[in-house]
Amino acid sequence: MTAPALETRALVAGYEPDLPIVRGVDLSVAPGELLVLLGPNGAGKSTFVKAIAGVVPIHSGSVLLGEREITRVASHRKIAEGLAFVPQTENIFATLTIHENLQLAAVVLPKAQRSDRIAALYRRFPDLASKPSRLAGALSGGQRQMLAVARALIVDPSVLILDEPSAGLSPKIVGEVFSMLKEINAGGVTVILVEQNVKAALAIASRAVILVEGQIRHEGEASSLLGDPLIAKLYLGTTKQASEAP
Amino acid sequence: MNPQFLMDGLVAGAMIGLGAIGVTLTYSILRFANFAHGEMLSWGAYLALAVSGGLGLLSTSLTKPIGPFSFGWSLPLAAVVAILLTGLLALAVDAVLFGRLRARGGAIIILVMASFGASLALRSLLEFIFTSKPAYYTKALQIAVKIGGGLRATPDQLLSLGLSLVAVVAIHLLMTRTDIGRSMRAVSENPALAGIAGVDVRRVIRVVWFVGAALACIAGIMTGLLVQIRPYLGHDLLLPLFAAAILGGIGSVPGAMIAGLIVGLSEAAAVQIVGAEWRAAVSFVILVAVLLLRPRGLFGRAA
Repeated sequence: MTAPALETRALVAGYEPDLPIVRGVDLSVAPGELLVLLGPNGAGKSTFVKAIAGVVPIHSGSVLLGEREITRVASHRKIAEGLAFVPQTENIFATLTIHENLQLAAVVLPKAQRSDRIAALYRRFPDLASKPSRLAGALSGGQRQMLAVARALIVDPSVLILDEPSAGLSPKIVGEVFSMLKEINAGGVTVILVEQNVKAALAIASRAVILVEGQIRHEGEASSLLGDPLIAKLYLGTTKQASEAP
Repeated sequence: MNPQFLMDGLVAGAMIGLGAIGVTLTYSILRFANFAHGEMLSWGAYLALAVSGGLGLLSTSLTKPIGPFSFGWSLPLAAVVAILLTGLLALAVDAVLFGRLRARGGAIIILVMASFGASLALRSLLEFIFTSKPAYYTKALQIAVKIGGGLRATPDQLLSLGLSLVAVVAIHLLMTRTDIGRSMRAVSENPALAGIAGVDVRRVIRVVWFVGAALACIAGIMTGLLVQIRPYLGHDLLLPLFAAAILGGIGSVPGAMIAGLIVGLSEAAAVQIVGAEWRAAVSFVILVAVLLLRPRGLFGRAA
């Protein structure tokens, strides 16, 4: 039996030790899966993925990347282990150029591989290749998301986690970003997506997990959740079907 | 107005600029005003004095002046050792004090107050070990030579200016062309994201302490060589250092050096125009003016 790409066991996490936000989450993500984490505001979705990435303290439980436990691995070492994380906001270095953003992330690779890997990313994201010396802070929202994802892909990760990549983007750009994620997933990268844009996220995901008050309340195939009015009403804060949600 | 103030201002400004680079780096990356930074200048100067004195005892030929300069090989050799030791001292202070406060998530004001305490302790320790009596690297007298434009300078002064220029170019290249420099800029902008991107933030902090202290040591040795060595050497330069760091723009290495030269020249001009007793007020006026008119300084980024 193949080991999950990522697994959390009874994960309890939060900013303060006596105020856990994530309260005992058991989640297993299969290799090659595109999983979307849904839930109302304050459900603990972002805290959960930040805890996996090592940004929020884990109080108890464990995180496994493949067969290796990475619960206490420092956040800066997780990227080299193959776990890449793209935060919701401030996910690029605005005062560094596009090229410097990629060079910075490439530091975890052996020196001989760095320029080849950056060149490969430029081929994949030609928009970035056209202006490598431009300050990242001058990029549009969609280009910033592209650079953030490119930075995360520098190590060719086994698992890519994104926290609300559609936040603040126009519907057209959201479509482009989600197509890009679908393509990355088709290339064999396991993708975990935290999203508020329910319809777009369920359309590309293979499986969805709904988090409420720091615990998993429901999980199932994305296509089945897309048409479930009860789920939409209970957990997404709308009486519409999820397929009608924005 | 005697044009000699230009040379005096440039020499004083170069020392201020070197010290201000350390202030600006620690401020931008550790996000607090380290008032103990002046003590790194004093400790650097005294460590070089102690090692230089020791080398002089081992071999008197090392104290024989090199060419036109006032000092022998014992001082450059001692400077290398002192730079290393001052860097280690800064790392030790961080490990014992600032690092622990950061780990506890201490507020900025706690770190600032701790830096006042560290400053006092480090200065008192210097006075205890070396006494407060002024000391000198050499007793040789130097005659200022004409360098054109009605200016005069001693070979030691010209060497100090040259070394400052080399140091600032080296640090600028370190920041813009190397992996550790990019990491330092990334941590300065967003430490959490830097960690996620694979940067070892704790290593970057150690490098910042070491580089800042090394530059402070060079500035302290220059001040000791051109003026005199006293336990209050760094403390007395603290206001000009902060004025230069803020005028240059927090985080900007060339900005700190250029602003250091501006502060040094302004002080020297003030001595001629309004009198030496107003010299210390110049940095204060510059500091207040920058904070009121252009808080991000000459080369700093907007908040």
